[in-house]
Amino acid sequence: SPVAVRSVSASLKDPFIGIAPEDEKYYKTSSDLIKCKDGSKKFSKAQLNDDFCDCPDGTDEPGTSACPAGKFYCRNAGHAPLFLYSSRVNDGICDCCDGSDEYDGKVKCPNTCWEAGKVARDKLKKKIATYQEGVTLRKQEVERAKLGLAKDEAELSKLKDEEKILKGLVQQLKERKEEIEKAEEKERLQKEKEEKERKEAEEKANKEENKAEQEANPDNTAAVENTDSEEKPTDSMHDDEIGLLEDSSSYQDVAKDNDEPAAEVENSDTPGSEGSLVNEVEQPAAEAKEESAVSPDSGSKGNDVSENTEGLSKEELGRLVASRWTGENTAKQTEEVDATKDNDHEEMPGGTHGEESDGYASETDNDNGRYDDDNDDVEDEVDEDFREEDHDESSSSYNFDSEIESDLSDITTPSNPSWLEKIQKTVQNVLRAVNLFQTPVNQSEAAHVRKEYDESSAKLSKIESRISSLSQKLKHDFGPEKEFYSFYGRCFEGKENKYVYKVCPYKQASQEEGHTTTRLGRWNKFEDAYRVMIFSNGDKCWNGPDRSLKVKLRCGLQNEVADVDEPSRCEYVALLSTPALCLEEKLKELQHKLELMNKEQPQNHDEL
Amino acid sequence: WKKEEFRNCNQTPFCKRARARKPGFCSLIALDVSISDGDLTAKLVPKTPDNEQDPDQIKPLILALSAYQDGILRLRIDEDPSLGPPKKRFEVPDVIVPEFASKKLWLQRVSTAKIDGDAAPSSIVYLSDGYEAVVRHDPFEVYVREKSNGNRVISLNSHGLFDFEQLRAKREGEDWEERFRTHTDTRPYGPQSISFDVSFYSADFVYGIPEHASSHALKPTRGPGVEDSEPYRLFNLDVFEYIHDSPFGIYGSIPFMISHGKSRGTSGFFWLNAAEMQIDVMATGWADAESEIALPSEKSRIDTLWMSEAGIVDAFFFMGPGPKDVVRQYTSVTGTPAMPQLFATAYHQCRWNYRDEEDVEHVDSKFDELNIPYDVLWLDIEHTDGKRYFTWDRTLFPHPEEMQGKLAAKGRHMVTIVDPHIKRDDSYHVHKEATQKGYYVKDAGGSDYDGWCWPGSSSYPDILSPEIRSWWADMFSIENYVGSTPSLYIWNDMNEPSVFNGPEVTMPRDALHYGGVEHRELHNAYGYYFHMATADGLVKRGDGKDRPFVLSRAIFAGTQRHGAVWTGDNSAEWDHLRVSVPMILTLGITGISFSGADVGGFFGNPEPELLVRWYQLGAYYPFFRAHAHHDTKRREPWLFGERNTELIRDAIHVRYMLLPYFYTLFREANTSGVPVVRPLWMEFPSEEATFSNDEAFMVGNSIIVQGIYTERAKHASVYLPGKESWYDLRTGTAYKGGRTHKLGVSEDSIPAFQRAGTIISRKDRFRRSSTQMVNDPYTLVIALNSSQAAEGELYVDDGKSFEFEHGAYIHRRFVFADGKLTSVNLATTSPGKSRFSSESVVERIVLLGHAPGPKSALNEATNQKVDIELGPLWLQWGRGSSVLTIRKPGVRIGDDWTIKIL
Repeated sequence: SPVAVRSVSASLKDPFIGIAPEDEKYYKTSSDLIKCKDGSKKFSKAQLNDDFCDCPDGTDEPGTSACPAGKFYCRNAGHAPLFLYSSRVNDGICDCCDGSDEYDGKVKCPNTCWEAGKVARDKLKKKIATYQEGVTLRKQEVERAKLGLAKDEAELSKLKDEEKILKGLVQQLKERKEEIEKAEEKERLQKEKEEKERKEAEEKANKEENKAEQEANPDNTAAVENTDSEEKPTDSMHDDEIGLLEDSSSYQDVAKDNDEPAAEVENSDTPGSEGSLVNEVEQPAAEAKEESAVSPDSGSKGNDVSENTEGLSKEELGRLVASRWTGENTAKQTEEVDATKDNDHEEMPGGTHGEESDGYASETDNDNGRYDDDNDDVEDEVDEDFREEDHDESSSSYNFDSEIESDLSDITTPSNPSWLEKIQKTVQNVLRAVNLFQTPVNQSEAAHVRKEYDESSAKLSKIESRISSLSQKLKHDFGPEKEFYSFYGRCFEGKENKYVYKVCPYKQASQEEGHTTTRLGRWNKFEDAYRVMIFSNGDKCWNGPDRSLKVKLRCGLQNEVADVDEPSRCEYVALLSTPALCLEEKLKELQHKLELMNKEQPQNHDEL
Repeated sequence: WKKEEFRNCNQTPFCKRARARKPGFCSLIALDVSISDGDLTAKLVPKTPDNEQDPDQIKPLILALSAYQDGILRLRIDEDPSLGPPKKRFEVPDVIVPEFASKKLWLQRVSTAKIDGDAAPSSIVYLSDGYEAVVRHDPFEVYVREKSNGNRVISLNSHGLFDFEQLRAKREGEDWEERFRTHTDTRPYGPQSISFDVSFYSADFVYGIPEHASSHALKPTRGPGVEDSEPYRLFNLDVFEYIHDSPFGIYGSIPFMISHGKSRGTSGFFWLNAAEMQIDVMATGWADAESEIALPSEKSRIDTLWMSEAGIVDAFFFMGPGPKDVVRQYTSVTGTPAMPQLFATAYHQCRWNYRDEEDVEHVDSKFDELNIPYDVLWLDIEHTDGKRYFTWDRTLFPHPEEMQGKLAAKGRHMVTIVDPHIKRDDSYHVHKEATQKGYYVKDAGGSDYDGWCWPGSSSYPDILSPEIRSWWADMFSIENYVGSTPSLYIWNDMNEPSVFNGPEVTMPRDALHYGGVEHRELHNAYGYYFHMATADGLVKRGDGKDRPFVLSRAIFAGTQRHGAVWTGDNSAEWDHLRVSVPMILTLGITGISFSGADVGGFFGNPEPELLVRWYQLGAYYPFFRAHAHHDTKRREPWLFGERNTELIRDAIHVRYMLLPYFYTLFREANTSGVPVVRPLWMEFPSEEATFSNDEAFMVGNSIIVQGIYTERAKHASVYLPGKESWYDLRTGTAYKGGRTHKLGVSEDSIPAFQRAGTIISRKDRFRRSSTQMVNDPYTLVIALNSSQAAEGELYVDDGKSFEFEHGAYIHRRFVFADGKLTSVNLATTSPGKSRFSSESVVERIVLLGHAPGPKSALNEATNQKVDIELGPLWLQWGRGSSVLTIRKPGVRIGDDWTIKIL
């Protein structure tokens, strides 16, 4: 007997369901045929939302799940409208807060738009408030950066001028100093000559003196010179000394390795790979050799590295084998109770995260208007930017190279502007004073010259180093508006459980636990339109890559590090809130969004 | 791969001894041949009793031959219990299904004859289906032959390599201990190994005896042309970074071998024995090289040598004659694959480890955000409180029920890991209870065995005991497993068992089990019992109404009844992608249909191209799961740029689209044992070109798939078997069968074709998970053969309960002939049976290979005309192809109907 087939389209009350208001014109045409948007073909009005996919791009099925490429629009009055993948239509799960995506009667979706909308609007308002303040802060920051940069540049050019002058002075002093030294040398030779003549006179007077004694002196001098210039050790004493030196230096190397427990294991795992190691380290290799004698097959494969299991306790053997999978250092672990696969959970942040914390994946950032099926994406977004509120972890920042500044204070402080003139004057005086050659050289004058020379060249080298550090600084990328200028020379700290994370832009980032510091990376660059800072080539991870850190920047009122995570082994991700990211365009966008949301609110709230 | 940590044959005394024997070694003859209790029985005794030999060694052995319906012969050889052996040798319980006993044929009479000029007579019994079993008395030999022509099918001891080390008292000064590396095996019962040769006749290749990472057709391990090879080893081991081409033992052991040849067909041999086994496959002419008294070497005979450390001979001969017959015969002994829940046949997302609830939520939402379906999210060992299974690390997972609830609200499921090693911690309830009740495996000294695994010092439930299995099963109740919910399912890893500080990373062979059984006797089945107990636990939890899902790494004969398996810790290498196919094919023909390899490769970081290719292939694995080691970079589908995300999404979509077809195949496996994924020779048994092809495989009888196993491949040579054409799955382009095609390959997909003459059921709407697809409409794709005909089947049930066992299912056969498509009921209905119905309709019927022209079709039942137009074969690649499409035929999937092309 024929069975009437109930089709989904039968339950469709509104033939235009799933169509966005701006699109209605496209469908409500007078012609009977509608084009697929991709131009591939045409469909009749009867085929609109008839639960059969005619257009590959889904044009004909905005309101059903028939086309894989289709999009369903829900109005969500009271909240924000949303486009859904058509696969969400009538799938038994309420996706639109107005429930319009579930109309086949299998589930009943309550309308939650008003509540959800209110929450979202409140959050958005808060976010806007932050942005408003943040935009101001950012402007100030940009102003300060301009001034700071101008100052740096001015200083640099001033220093370069000073360097030029000082270099001249130093050169003059040097020449004078050398003249004096020449004169002194001349004097000395004169004196020696006189002495010699005097001595010769004496010798003549004392012919009885032993000749050998006279000759012994120059010989001895030669011997001493010889020893100094000899490259090869000439006796066993020397051998020993050199051997000792080498030994102690390789001990240092070993000690260094031991600081990194991972490296230690690697060493013992690959016997013989470090040929120059001292005996203690070579031991595992020797034992492995013994073992290969026991087991005829060991080492027959090129890559096979036999571990020494001989003489291990049962527990040590268990840990050793477990470590192959876990990559853990067994030697270090023997006192711990757990042979855990890893200790990630200890490194993990505790329960301090907010629920919608965005974790690590960059893709969570929906800011670029990407299609999103979540009806509370506004919420997510708000939370991403609002970190500072729910952070109780200590966070601080400070300058790391204040010493450099203080060191140069004597030459750079504005209160002391004429130091160069003073030096110039002093030098002129000195040079004039010793202008005329006196014999013998005036010792106090000579000392004066030497002192001036030493002081001036010290100053010069200070200036040169300052020039170099300033030019280094100015080479950095401070952002399109130099908004990251103030990051230079500063570090931001965040605490995550037992670890303190230190992010020093343009320099490096590290993780500290007690007195142990692990470098997570050296400064590399900005990425993703200055929304991400990359630190790479950090300390090597055992069984893993070199550590690296990605710092995602968010608009916030203070510079604060938060939410450090390690989504992939040894690849860290942190969040840094900063006014530098509070962009005016983004603020406008948010305000516009809020306006839209307010507009979408039902005028009459009675229906709820 | 630490080769030196595992014993090779030379370091394994029983193997070394057996391998050194020359043909004709066996001096046993059969005496007292008679019929008793429907069996043929005999005594095996040495022909010339050697007085110097230990009297224990010359006690007669008892031989019994039993015949079963459908071409099955069972051969048992054991010591005579009435002669008081020191110990009863272990017979593996609970592997043979209880129903098998009812298939026994009671032998009535035995005849005697001298065959082929033998000096001594042979005893002959008629089996069934035209086969006879022959016991030659002197020298003792057992074989099966075709009655009509006398052609042999399978034989045992034709080369006289049979040896049975009987249990005996220790002689003075004898040292029974065996030492390997730092471990000592006390071997209190001394030598007890068994070995024998088995010959397959009219055989071109032998297959089976998983689990090895090696080719599907087994390469010879001895004989002319074979360089120094180990035998295939069956010993369940947790092998770190196993290599992709090796006869060494890995996680599973199924002592079942299948032979296939063009001239006769297929036969099989199964030895039910759970001790360590080593199997040699001899190259043609091996015996000539070893001895002159051997059988004349016959080109189409394949000889094999089977060696086991302990147990008895309990062997099954399967006569075939077709590949599917042998699989049916084998699974009638060890059981057919369990019917999985629908969700389990969809895509699984796993990683060691999804760290915390936030991570889970993030991964879950990302799939939705990118419109990639998935059904199951997995948690590895780190979710527990210090590797105490059935517990949660409450810092990372403070709200496990809520977390599972959120997934369940989207129709998704969660799997947590539960391994057999129990942390020796007095405050851990499982340990406390197991200790108090004496439920742990004992060491040789009788104390609870203490080994090392993830939690550190651990003990292992003695899962051989039914009582302990029942206790273990109860652990999974919602009350006992705190934090579990009904949408949580289980993963059994490390159940070989893996013991980090044990010999060969497993349990010592002299450890003791329930009933005084030594670990050496049951080793290969430990994981099987564990898997069984866990699956039973889930059945109990669901009050017998919810099909269990348990993934196991260790495998034994019969595992298919308890759940799915995967091929363990593979590597992110092209070679491992390649070897996954023969591994899965071999598991399939030995009963284990529901298997897969870790997509992406467990160890190491796959290049995006390899990952994409793996997804494209993995989408056709029976068990489709991505997994990764915790040292690897994250590799969820969206982490490799938009293009790769799209490619991976496409690959996953392929699986979801084909779910109705896959589910139908799972049901076919469940009823017949024929695996979901099959070697080509199983579908094309007379086509020699298919016999050793393990690059390509069949999904059911309708789809052929070939992976792309190399980087930046531009072309692939694909052999399309049979006389009929094949239609490209995406484009509908037809290719001739019976030849190799050199095809251009793009990054979009791997070669896959539908066989002409078949009908495939699809669901083309992509939901979040399979759960939301239940009521979605079907697309039927009809690939017409040269006679413009095709047929196919569809099986549907509720996807989760056991009601299907009582008739609650839809089973249709679609037949296209004479321009008409008819849906025929295959379900047997009887009053009182449960019913299952579906609202789903057929939304689209695609005709491949039909002459162009027809504009409409008639639904004969309603007399309604429906449109035929040109449409895309696959909607998401819509613009590429235009195929004849019957638009909205207006029929329900469960009804009888006929649609006529006008």
